[in-house]
Order: sequence, then structure tokens, then C-alpha cells
Amino acid sequence: MRVDFSLLLPEMLLAGLGFLVLIVDLVLPQERPERRNKAVAAVAVAGMAAVAAMALATAPDRTESVYGGLLFIDAYALLFKTLFLGVGIAVVLMSVEYVGRVIRHPGEFYGLIVFAVLGANLMASAGELLTAYIALELLSFCLFVLVGLTRGDRRSAEASTKYILLGAISSAVLLYGISLLYGTMGTTVFREMGPGLAINFSPTVIVGFAMLLAGIGFKLALVPFHLWAPDVYEGAPTPITALVAVLSKAATFALLLRFLAEVSTGRFDQWQLALAVLAAATMTVGTLTALVQRNIKRLLAYSSIAQVGFVMVGVVAMTEAGANAVLLHLVGYAFTNLAAFAVVVTVEAKTRKEEIADYAGLSTASPLMAMVLTAAMFSLAGLPIFAGFITKFYLFTAAADAGYLWLAALAITNSVISLYYYLRVVREMYISEPEVEPERIRLSPSSAGALWVLLAGTIAVGVYPGPLAAAVDAATDALRAYAGGA
Amino acid sequence: MMLIHFELLGAGLFCLGVYGVLARRSGVMILMAVELMLNAVNVNLVAFAAFRDIPTATGQVIAIFVITIAAAEVALALAIIMRLFRSRGSVNVDQIDLMGG
Repeated sequence: MRVDFSLLLPEMLLAGLGFLVLIVDLVLPQERPERRNKAVAAVAVAGMAAVAAMALATAPDRTESVYGGLLFIDAYALLFKTLFLGVGIAVVLMSVEYVGRVIRHPGEFYGLIVFAVLGANLMASAGELLTAYIALELLSFCLFVLVGLTRGDRRSAEASTKYILLGAISSAVLLYGISLLYGTMGTTVFREMGPGLAINFSPTVIVGFAMLLAGIGFKLALVPFHLWAPDVYEGAPTPITALVAVLSKAATFALLLRFLAEVSTGRFDQWQLALAVLAAATMTVGTLTALVQRNIKRLLAYSSIAQVGFVMVGVVAMTEAGANAVLLHLVGYAFTNLAAFAVVVTVEAKTRKEEIADYAGLSTASPLMAMVLTAAMFSLAGLPIFAGFITKFYLFTAAADAGYLWLAALAITNSVISLYYYLRVVREMYISEPEVEPERIRLSPSSAGALWVLLAGTIAVGVYPGPLAAAVDAATDALRAYAGGA
Repeated sequence: MMLIHFELLGAGLFCLGVYGVLARRSGVMILMAVELMLNAVNVNLVAFAAFRDIPTATGQVIAIFVITIAAAEVALALAIIMRLFRSRGSVNVDQIDLMGG
């Protein structure tokens, strides 16, 4: 078997970049930590931007696979790679200030972010269960370490312990599921497993598939596998919370969507119902628990659980429209959530506060941050002109068209309830009287720039989704179940 | 020896691991229980590869990868548990309740 290694060049360069970041941190003089931090961050950002540009420039026009179907290099993977590299760049930019204050070795921090992005990229390309598992673990291991990287913060140590123990258990469950599926189907390559898997209802396949879903459900924080999420979100360094919320969720969805589309030809009846129940439970529990949160990071944790439930609504549909909606929502969700987290990170770096009540008076302290956070909250709630409205609309329409009217109705109800807690944050910023006169917060050019870009993205997806929708359409055409569709 | 014997061994080991995970309080003990679960996976994989008529050696290859990744995972988890021990003086997981989740 001849392997065309040039197809894997972006991944190889990204791995090299991870090591380069570590080395740059080592060789730069230790006496000026502030400059070292900025230089290492600049290397990471420039490197990831270069890899993204290269991946876009060298992308093959048709679907290519390497190692006999283990990895796909196609439009679907390309869309997610670009998204993940963008997320990586945004997270590095928003964490420069935070890292300077909290983290002793910036190289470890940025290097692990690069490796996490590499894992996410491989997850989007994986066409085989073992490859997918290894990519998933590459991402997860980086996150386990990053979550515990703030020395001296006891919450961070606790969060990473919980995360890695539950993560280890869930990957054992996932692997047992893989072993059962391998035993029945005799292969782990998605294309060879399907479409038989969708109609095979032997007990081994049912148990194996259920365990596989449970393992993936843990990574997505689907109810009932969500209990780790709020603590990890609260305990992790805030930029890493953003990474967990956006990168690991989107990468796992990329994997799940490709897996389902390759092993079935669009219909998957009994499993669709199981997924629908998970989606319903996830969004309802996420929404209702978010109502009572006081800490902004916990609020965003439960909100992201609810959002995952909404995305599952699109996955359940198992149609091309559903897959398109999922991809579109993931892009919009990445912009929106990163915008929200960029504000939370900056406020925390400046004032060391993370309660929702502490946001009183933010509109006078920093009008730009208040505006960005408002836009993010409106978008998460699904109000028009922001990304959340249009993408949620597509998601729910896809589910309704696929016959899951009850699920769409429940999703809309949850969406309306969620308005309450999103607007609470906005009310706090603009209406509540702060206890002490707010001090004006000065933003560094890098964080102000990142905020403007994320704000523009949140609105652009909402008002002019045309170009993105075309890219998304090309991406889902690369999947077998939706190939050649409209 | 038939395939079913190995499958039963695998399932038994896995259940033992799950019991350990649920019943143990110490983080280190939970890790050992997870190791049991992973070894159950390996038994399954190797047995399927040997008994089922599968031409490629995928099962054995996956088992080797699982062993490697499990080693990395344990190293990482022990380091993180060490940190917890330094900050709290205990590796008991039911005492980690700072955030009430």
C-alpha cells in the first residue's frame, strides 16, 4: 500500500509546531517572563495560522483516504480543521494575559493547546475506530493536564482529578464497546462496518454500540454522563474552560457525525430514538440546572450542556439537512462561546472575579466587553440577527422534517426558558447598580482585537450564512450517507 | 477452550472493574479497577482475533495500542493524583467537594 504522505503534511507540521513551542519556551531567557510569554504565544498563533493556510491551500479536490481508510482527507475534515485551528488561535490570544499572571511555564500551556488541536483535527479525519480512539485520547490527555495546570489552586487539582478518573473509566467503556463491535463485524473501519451495523440487532452489537455511545456521551457531557462538566469548567483555568467547551465538543461531534453517516445509509431507526431521548434529557437538564447558577463559569457549563442537547437534535435527524445544521451550529457556537469566554477570561484576569453578580457595572467599566458578552448571550439564547437564531432554526427544522416533531417542540420550549438565565447576565451588566464604582478596564490590543473578531463572527454567521452554508454543504457531501445529495 | 470462555472471562473482568470503580474511595484503587476493565478489553480483542475467522491482525494490534495508551493514562493520572495529595493530604475521591458538583 502506497501512502501519499503529502496529504498528512498539515498534521505533521502541527505536531512539529507543538514541539517547537516547547523548545522556544526553553531557549528564551528566563529573566523576562512577560516577553517570553508573548513570544511563545506569538509562535503558537503564527504557526497555527500557517498550518490552517497550508491545509486550505493543499486540500485535494476530491475525497482522499490514507492508510486504507484509516484517515480521510476530505472537505468535511478540512472544514473542521480550519475551525479547530481558529479555535486554538482564539484561545491562545485570549489567554496571554491570564497565563502571564497564573502559569509559570507558558510553553507547556500553549504547546498542549497545539497538541489538543492536533488531536481534534485527527478526530475529524478518522475513519476507523482505533484511530478515532487514539485521536480522542490525544485531545483528552492534553485537556486533563491543562485543566490542572494552575499551581496552588486547589479547585484546579480537584477538577483535573475528577476529569481524568471519569475520563479513564469512560474510555474503558468505549474500548469495551469497540471490542464487541470488532468481534461481531470483524473490522473497525467505518466503511466496512456499515451499512450492516445499522440493521444488525444481535445483543452483542446492541451492547457494543450502546457502550460506544456512552463513551462518546461522556466526552460530549450528554445527560446522564454530564456530572463532571460543571466542576471541570469551574476548576479549570478559564481559557481552558473555553477549550473544553468548544474544541472537545465540536471534535467529538465531528467524529460522531462521520461515524453515524458512514455506518448507516441515512436511516438508523431504533438508535435514532435512543439518541432522541438522550438529546431531550440533555437539553432539559442543562437548561433547568442553569437557571439556579451564580458562578458565570458554571452557568456557561450548564448552558453548553443544553447546547449539546440542541446539536444532538440535528444529529438525531440523520438527514443531510440535519448534518448541515449541526455543522453550521458548531461553527456559530464556536464563535459565540469563544466570545463569551473571552470576556469572562479578561474580567477574571483584571478583577479576579467570576460570580454573575460581579458583572454589575461592566457596561461602564468596559462598554466593548459588555457589548460582546450581550451579543454572545443573545446568540446562545437564539435571538435573531445573531448566529444562534439561524443555526437553531435549521437544527429544529431538520428534526421536525425527519419526523421528530416532539423533539423540535421540546427544543424550542427549552430555548425559550434559557432566555431567562442568559438575559440575567445582560441585566446584571446594564441595569444592576454595582456596589462600588466600577473602575475602567483597559484592554490590551490583542484581547480587544480577538473580541471584535469573535463579535463579527457571531453576527456574520447570523446575518449572512451563505458562504458558510456552501462550505458546510460541500463538507457533508463527503460523507457516504449524504453523498451526491442536494 | 472456546470463544465463549474468553468472552465470559472478559465480561467477568470488566464487571469486576466496574465494581471496583464504584466501590473504592481511593483514587489509586479506582485506577487499578480501570486497569482491570482495560485488560478485559484486551482479552476480548485477542480472543476475537484468534477465534473468529478474521484475516487481519486488527485485534492484536488494537490490544497493543490499548496497553500503551493505558500506561500513558496511568502515568498521567498518578501525577494528577499526586498533586491532589499535595494540596489536600488525601487521595480519597469522596472528599473532593470544594465545588459541590
